Amino acid sequence: MENRPAVVGAGRTRFGEHYEKEPEKLIEEAWLKASTEADIERKDLEACYLSDYFLPITNKLGLEEGFLSELTGLHTPMEVTRSFGSALSNACNAIQAGKYKMVLVGGIEKMTDRWDKIRDDLMLLEDPWSYYAGCTPEANHELMLRAYIKKYGLEGEDLQKLYTALAQIAVKNHFHGSKNEYAQYQRKITIEQVLQARREAHKPLGLYDYAPISDGAAILILTNEEIAKKHTDKPVYILSSSSATDYLTYPAREDMTHFLVTQNSMKNALNMAKKNLWDIQLVELYDQSTLMELVSLEDLGFCHPGTAWKSITESCADYKGYYEFDGHQVFVNLSGGLKADGNPLGARGGAEIFEVVKQLRGEACERQAKCDKELKNGCVLELEGFGTKGYVYILGRDLE
Amino acid sequence: MSSEPIERRVSYLGDRLRGNRCLICGKEYFEIRDYCGNCGRKSYGKMVSTDLFYEKGTLELCTLVNEPTNKFTKLGNYIYGIVSFHDGKIRVPGRLTDRMPKCNDDIDFSSLEGRTVVPRFRRRYSVDKSDVIPTISLTFTFADEYYPHQEYKCTKPKKENDSPGIVGYGVYASRFRIKEGNIERSVPFIDEDSVTAAVEAGKLALIHSGIDSTQIGKIYVGSESNPYAVKPIASKVAQVLKLGEEDEDVQGVDAVDTEFACKAATSMFKDAASLVNYPKSNIKYTMVTGTDNAQAAPRDCPGGELDLFVGYGAASFIFGRSDVIAEIEGCYSCTSDTPDFWRRDGEPYPMHGGRFTGDPAYFKHVRKSSKKLMERLGLKVADVNYFVAHQPNVQFPVRIAKELGFKEEQYLPMLQVAKFGNTYSAASPVGLAAVLDLAKPNERILMASYGSGAGSDAYSLIVTNEILAKRQQQRLTVKYQADNPFIEYVDYTTYRRLKAGM
Repeated sequence: MENRPAVVGAGRTRFGEHYEKEPEKLIEEAWLKASTEADIERKDLEACYLSDYFLPITNKLGLEEGFLSELTGLHTPMEVTRSFGSALSNACNAIQAGKYKMVLVGGIEKMTDRWDKIRDDLMLLEDPWSYYAGCTPEANHELMLRAYIKKYGLEGEDLQKLYTALAQIAVKNHFHGSKNEYAQYQRKITIEQVLQARREAHKPLGLYDYAPISDGAAILILTNEEIAKKHTDKPVYILSSSSATDYLTYPAREDMTHFLVTQNSMKNALNMAKKNLWDIQLVELYDQSTLMELVSLEDLGFCHPGTAWKSITESCADYKGYYEFDGHQVFVNLSGGLKADGNPLGARGGAEIFEVVKQLRGEACERQAKCDKELKNGCVLELEGFGTKGYVYILGRDLE
Repeated sequence: MSSEPIERRVSYLGDRLRGNRCLICGKEYFEIRDYCGNCGRKSYGKMVSTDLFYEKGTLELCTLVNEPTNKFTKLGNYIYGIVSFHDGKIRVPGRLTDRMPKCNDDIDFSSLEGRTVVPRFRRRYSVDKSDVIPTISLTFTFADEYYPHQEYKCTKPKKENDSPGIVGYGVYASRFRIKEGNIERSVPFIDEDSVTAAVEAGKLALIHSGIDSTQIGKIYVGSESNPYAVKPIASKVAQVLKLGEEDEDVQGVDAVDTEFACKAATSMFKDAASLVNYPKSNIKYTMVTGTDNAQAAPRDCPGGELDLFVGYGAASFIFGRSDVIAEIEGCYSCTSDTPDFWRRDGEPYPMHGGRFTGDPAYFKHVRKSSKKLMERLGLKVADVNYFVAHQPNVQFPVRIAKELGFKEEQYLPMLQVAKFGNTYSAASPVGLAAVLDLAKPNERILMASYGSGAGSDAYSLIVTNEILAKRQQQRLTVKYQADNPFIEYVDYTTYRRLKAGM
């Protein structure tokens, strides 16, 4: 990749239930942090890329660009997409093409404004036939778990280990969340709590296996590599951005145990960044459920298909803050992930980038990764829907 | 509010599970595709229509849904999963219906996965009372339970008959029953209604008759519990069962609903038979279906006495002139304006005239039509092998049968009200079907229906040899459904909830 974009400022709100705050309040809060960090004013922005899934539904804002224009007092080009990954992709393209030098990428979601209907709204991300047949936002995760168990022939002790590994993922993410001042849930949980929630639900996955619904905003200031250093001593470069798309209908996909979009995006992203898998020390991935973290670790290539539960079990037996795959330390979801940090859909990808940026700069305070080697590269995986779209970004401290 | 144009397209595809197959590579799709993803542009014009309506599938994966999205909450808990057809060539999402998983059950999903399932036509989810009722066939039941998979084999007719008659029939009652004292009554599952029962009965009648559904020229559906005041049940049945030649997305069939309390269907038997007998109609077969999800006020309210008797079910008869299993020998109908039972427009439950529904209503009309028809045909009681009457309860049909001089062996086979309850428009047709299930060639059946308001239709039918061959084509007989080991009994509260529907 030539003329790589650089993150020179990143800001976010705490995720959670912000019943008392309008969307504009959340955007302002994230903007203030990001712009202070980059030391810029609104008028310095040449374009804005905003992401949200549900503002038209939750807040009756159907033309978000105009809303943002009014809020910022700017009349620059503005585009709105669903996921943060998608907004960032557009911003990266524009910077690389040399069209703009300074853009804002923002994500916002206000899901609790429709807490009683948001699960129905989430079905907009599935195919309509699944909805008509009675699918729920959780059902496909449970079906994929069934498919995974069958495909890899897990039974008896192995099956129990898989279930425990999934519980350990939730416990681990809450552990990291407890150190994240921005996280929705800043408390630790136990394996027994996860298992008890499953028993109460009478299902293989329970309350603690799923990400919550959240409100929140995240904002990045993106420049090109030439002017990055004028704004910060520690720019973080986007070494590659990659995405892929799969069938909307989960039952129509060939492989029901993995996400093609993750596999393809990661492969392309590594090629583009000219990096080796084990150059990636830090990963923020999209754990809509604990199963998604497990499957994503396989799809990203850190574990062989059907084996992630073994590595997770071993790493979590005496958890040191990272997973160990083939002797490599990989720090996963230090923000707490979607599970503990929260999942305001359109802003989630922003929080992932935010986390990697803070970690690579060594500014993550209490939750700073304690890596044997110098922390240089991280990657972000963001999904739209149930593996329908996937975005992978590789970020690095150095251009090489 | 649901959007009607979307509803039209969704139900057109989803009720029949329509799809396409690529003639070049064989890949199959659910939903209509103009071209194949594998073959690209060269597959234009080489996609053939398919549907999964009569197929059996396999439940590949499943999970429990106990926190459904808002429109599905009335279903309670249900199993949701993925169903494959044609050895996994095509996979669709689906939910299991006719099951009520308890909230404290730990379900072993692996015991459900891999089993054969049959698509069932049901209501999709709840909507406002003023909205179009959405339907779908992405609802399934296990083939090794109450409702087996039956192949629909169309055969060329072997023999032309001299006079028209019944060429096939089907009876549908749900898996659920309420049992109070000696009487069992069929209870719809929460996603069932008189429309879904009419489709089921029609489907079973087509399977039994072995005739091609495109040959049916007219369908009559009689009911007093159509969930719509305006919108026919018959149009839904015609489309789901693909009656008449389909041209673009329109069925070449005449479809009409009829209403006359419990005789809305039997009244049309003669019309259906006449139509196939009229050469210029160009109609080979006709279908008459009686269907009811009879509603009743709660027991302590006016009209609540009906709550002890109301059942749920449908019976469908196909009339034609070839391979007839029972010829119509004669018919007689009578009518008087007798207000013994009624339901005003907009009222949810019917009212009735108490003891007035007996002598001056039911008995007077059934007696009149039966006697007149026997008189006209010169029949004595001994000439009749089976007597079938409308059965709102056990006492009425037994009393009229005895009064007319019939013996137990002549009238007991028709008596199904103690198994299914009063199925209203389907009541005497279910009795007729029960008799046809066991009648021998050349036996004579006298049927007298009754409809409040009031009137009665009497028919004399002569069973033919063809009945023996066709009997092999139907497993879902009346007896099979009456004494099925998979019947699930529900308590009164559940019965009221299921009956009210989604």
